[in-house]
Amino acid sequence: MTSAQPHAIGKAHPILRDIRKRWMLHLFIWCGLAFLFVFNIIPITGLQMAFRTFKLKDGFAGIFNGQFVGFQYFNEFLSDRKFTVLLRNTMSISVLKLLFNFPLAITFAIMLTEMPGRKFKRVVQTVSYLPHFISWVIVSGLLFTFLSSSSGMLTDLFKSMGIEMPAILVKGDYYYGLAVFSELWKEMGWNAIIYLAAISGIDPTLYESAQIDGAGRIRRIFNITLPSIRGTIAVLLILGVGGLMGGANFEQSLLLGNSTNIARSEIIEVYVYNQGLVAGRYSYAAAAGLFQSMISLFLVISANWFSRRFLDTSLF
Amino acid sequence: MIGIPRQKNAIRHTPEDRIINTMIIILTTFVFIVTVYPFYYVLIMSFNNGNDAMRGGIYLWPRVFTMENYGQFLNDSKWISAIFVSFARTVLGTGLGVLFTCMVAYAMSFEDLKLRKFYYGIMIICMYFSGGLIPYYLTLRQIGLLNNFLVYIIPMMFSIYYMILAISFFQAIPRTLYESAYLDGANDAYIYVKIVLPLSLPLLATLALFMAVNQWNSWMDTAFYCTGQKNLRTLAYLLRDLIVSNETGVQRGWQAISDVAAGKMKAVTSKSIQMAAMMISILPIICVYPFLQKYFVSGIMLGAVKG
Repeated sequence: MTSAQPHAIGKAHPILRDIRKRWMLHLFIWCGLAFLFVFNIIPITGLQMAFRTFKLKDGFAGIFNGQFVGFQYFNEFLSDRKFTVLLRNTMSISVLKLLFNFPLAITFAIMLTEMPGRKFKRVVQTVSYLPHFISWVIVSGLLFTFLSSSSGMLTDLFKSMGIEMPAILVKGDYYYGLAVFSELWKEMGWNAIIYLAAISGIDPTLYESAQIDGAGRIRRIFNITLPSIRGTIAVLLILGVGGLMGGANFEQSLLLGNSTNIARSEIIEVYVYNQGLVAGRYSYAAAAGLFQSMISLFLVISANWFSRRFLDTSLF
Repeated sequence: MIGIPRQKNAIRHTPEDRIINTMIIILTTFVFIVTVYPFYYVLIMSFNNGNDAMRGGIYLWPRVFTMENYGQFLNDSKWISAIFVSFARTVLGTGLGVLFTCMVAYAMSFEDLKLRKFYYGIMIICMYFSGGLIPYYLTLRQIGLLNNFLVYIIPMMFSIYYMILAISFFQAIPRTLYESAYLDGANDAYIYVKIVLPLSLPLLATLALFMAVNQWNSWMDTAFYCTGQKNLRTLAYLLRDLIVSNETGVQRGWQAISDVAAGKMKAVTSKSIQMAAMMISILPIICVYPFLQKYFVSGIMLGAVKG
């Protein structure tokens, strides 16, 4: 890059010379790094509080010089009577979402491309992105408005037809389904965008020649469309597995969880919040949080390995 | 808009085609209705008398039309203050967030910058790893951001994901534009503001949409970091409070809010106010959505290709 600052620079190290020559660019980046230092690096180093006894009255330094207790808080978490339930909920909700919502987004994208009639197609497409931009608060409000067993619109409608609606929002048995469906409703159209783009990149002559050879619609979908977007599917699958434990689960659980369905709605993140910010057991909560991060990390690495081994695609 | 492979040559429809087309139309119509109707229902309920709504049976049209839900809502200083806070954080947070993130992205878009790989490495690590809620909370506490309006703005200023998106956009800008500006004696700040930003409107629109929606919808930061300050409550937070209290106090939700001054039949219930509040918080998103739609689809693509 040529810059119009012909200072006499001398024989400084090339890095120093670059910093001196284009100091403003480096400064811009340093601002970003300073931000990351405060809001990412410091909290990451603060994770050592999971191995120390941190008390709020010791102040921030307590994170770094509290008494070292090793894995005490991890053992406590692992032997807590809630642990199995928390782990089961966290894993089940995530896996169910991946199992149902991931293939359904692909199906929806294929449906849109196969749809006759351009106008309606555009309308459906545009409308299907919209819920992505609506907050989970609103979504929870909509769910209550429709499903509430006292006054929900659907409950009323079914009652007038003589059908009793189950108490979906209250009974724990329905929570997994509720979490999976509400996320499907919110994100299906949005998740389909990337597949739509991948499908639109397929060479149309492939379809034409397949048609001449007598391949029907279903044949063309399975033999052309799906194999052509295999790479996209693989990448999104790895990302999906990596993001298994995060995503909207926390927010959903805070909004849709209540004292009656808590046996199914409470996930590790909610527990971390309750133990840490509400009950003030900071070190213990940090240990529980770290435990969850470790599982996520393990999942990303194994998904990536699996994909590199069997699908010839990997992120890193 | 995404192009879709045309099948103009498919003139003859086989029975298979017809079955599939019918099925697709039925399914997509179902998706369409399931997506749109809930919003429509909230809209009509927000214009319906709250006591009347309690009887149920309203599906397509308000039965007893009233504006009082909105009237009551907009008369409540609590809600007005929440709207103001939400609006302020959205405008400030989005503006600063876009400018700051793009500033770093501009510098990072120079492939030949020394140490760039090093900088990039740190950023990627920070993208994948975080300390989690508890250390983050204690950090915010230490730097005095708890119960502070700035907690809505400063921690949201920089997003590595959006920075990567912006880098790939900036790298498509011809370098010769910068070179002639350098020759005219311009510095990088000038080039960023006067050349790069004006050339990147689609990118800015995309990032602004994402950040603004995120700011407007956010309630967890209020719940976690601003518990002690009632005047920092946002619209989304208050709405969540109302929804939860309407749901847990099931009967209470439909009970008329006491209207002491007038002895007349009250038109407003806590539930019908919730409908109005939901409409008001959806409204800004629906308003900007059609204008920005064409940008974000291409923005997402850009991220997907590079990403």
